[in-house]
Amino acid sequence: MKISVNTEIAITYLSSRKKQTLVAALGVMFGVSMFIFMQSLMKGTNDYFEKMSFNTTPHIRLYSENKVADAHMLGNYLKDSSVKILTNPKQLVQRQGIINPYGIIQQISKNPQVANITPQVTAGVIYTSSGVQLTGTVSGVNIVQEDRMFDVQGNMVTGDLHDLDRINNSILIGHGIAEKLSLHVGDNITVTSGNGSPMIMKVIGIYASGVKQIDETKSYANIVQAQNLLGKDRSYVTDIKINLKDYNNAPEVAREFEAITGYKAEDWVQANSQLKVAFKIRAMILNSVVGVILLVAGFGIYNILNMTIYEKIKEIAILKATGFSGRSVISIFLQQAIYIGMAGAAIGIMLGFLITLGFSHVYIGSGGSGSPTPFGSLQYIPMSFYVPHYIEAIVFGILTTIAAGYFPARKASRVDPVTIIRG
Amino acid sequence: MAETALKANSITKYFHDPVDMPVLKNISLEVKKGEFVSIVGKSGCGKSTLLYVLSTMDRDYEGSLEINGEPVTGKPLNDLARIRNSSIGFVFQFHYLLPDFTCLKNVMIPALRLGKLSYKEVEEKAYEKLKMFGVEEQALKKANKLSGGEQQRVAIARALINDPAIIMGDEPTGNLDSKNTGIVFDLFQKLSKEFGQTLITVTHDGDFAKRSDRIIEMADGEIMSHG
Repeated sequence: MKISVNTEIAITYLSSRKKQTLVAALGVMFGVSMFIFMQSLMKGTNDYFEKMSFNTTPHIRLYSENKVADAHMLGNYLKDSSVKILTNPKQLVQRQGIINPYGIIQQISKNPQVANITPQVTAGVIYTSSGVQLTGTVSGVNIVQEDRMFDVQGNMVTGDLHDLDRINNSILIGHGIAEKLSLHVGDNITVTSGNGSPMIMKVIGIYASGVKQIDETKSYANIVQAQNLLGKDRSYVTDIKINLKDYNNAPEVAREFEAITGYKAEDWVQANSQLKVAFKIRAMILNSVVGVILLVAGFGIYNILNMTIYEKIKEIAILKATGFSGRSVISIFLQQAIYIGMAGAAIGIMLGFLITLGFSHVYIGSGGSGSPTPFGSLQYIPMSFYVPHYIEAIVFGILTTIAAGYFPARKASRVDPVTIIRG
Repeated sequence: MAETALKANSITKYFHDPVDMPVLKNISLEVKKGEFVSIVGKSGCGKSTLLYVLSTMDRDYEGSLEINGEPVTGKPLNDLARIRNSSIGFVFQFHYLLPDFTCLKNVMIPALRLGKLSYKEVEEKAYEKLKMFGVEEQALKKANKLSGGEQQRVAIARALINDPAIIMGDEPTGNLDSKNTGIVFDLFQKLSKEFGQTLITVTHDGDFAKRSDRIIEMADGEIMSHG
């Protein structure tokens, strides 16, 4: 391979000041590895929380939302184009639940994006056991479909969830409810809904989702059981839960379903808006920290090259006198910066990977008391190994060094050989 | 009559700091190919300034300059760098070798920059030049490990590597003892006589000047005698 004379000079300069070169490269290495570590931690955590949210939230939830009266009907009646303003509009009294839910399910199932779809009846209830009362909700579900969408099986502590379909008046309760009411599998519990009669149900299992709020309130029952509990007929469904093949499409698909059905379709992004805000803020914090690290590394390179140029100003002058153009001088010094950047980035991605690997083995589980899965399924620090992070880190690392190297290089190129050589 | 190597037409130059002051006043000068010219004069008479103007490094002057019949006044920096690289060799009072490189590499760098020969050929040629100046044994030593006389000889070898038409020296023997001065002078003469290269040197050394082909005397920014 033919190395250009600029490259040769750049490399000689670097190798004749090994210590400074090393320090500069270490700066870049530190920046790059921190970038990778922080990105991996953030993505790991975000992915984990996203996954957690899908343990309880479907990608899209279709439900009937109360509406506020608008001037639509008045417009129909008056048949003119005047602007109508309703003062003090009221909530419209509507039939609760979704009309013709199975028709809607059938229609929506045709959409090729849909992976799973299941109806649900949600009932606000009061659990009573030996005189102690606890408020909560019963989700009437098809447990097989529910398990497919939310991995209920994975959260089971005791019992068999399929007993919901086999045993009449059976209920699958949360770990928190079992604790508070001191219930075990096989015990009976009285469940009262707002507008139905009290019902005695048999505990066939206990689950723990890891989310305290859910474990202390939510129970599963067969959908028919829940309809009975509310005193409603078999066509009564409050929610339709839909999982898509790719959850990233949820917002668009939700708008589509809203248009088709006329019901509110809430996608997981809306349902977890606080999660998204947290993601955003975390990304901002992380990016500013990484930015500062790279900036510091950049200043390191800037300083070292600046010092080199002061030290070598006579040599630069003589190079120019013997026929090196300004462009060649820029190339010599910019190349030094780039080699420092590449070396730093190369070690940095390795170190970043090792740090990430190391942290992914740090055990943080079993912190809560008594709960079988204190942080849900979280036992180790969630770290992601995501190739684009490494590519980004290399790009940012090298860009920083180029930016930091350019200004000293330009200064070197402007050295006037006459003033330097004549002294 | 020999061809013209370098021709300067009414060159005038000012120093602007602290006030505008003329240092070169309407200087015209012609140097033939193969001539060995010395420029002499008192300190501050403008002889070095003239040399840097002739070298194309100093571009802040009025008048015009031709090198090998090619006008160079007003050319862009990169073109001038190329002209210096291929047609002009420099020897300064101080050697200005690059201390991080070996002597051989120091000599090779301008030729590598020119890029006309392969690396191997450049290496051979550089070694030849070092041999010519009797410093071939120092070829692989770092430049800062040599004695002053040896360093200056390496610097001259560097000036010659691209076989430049013109060699310019700014007090090339100013830092050398009489023995080394003699060596350098003999070399210069050999270059002029045997290789037909043009030499323009600025010097304080009267003996050195006397032995050259022509002496140009300067005083107060003007040429008193073309020799």
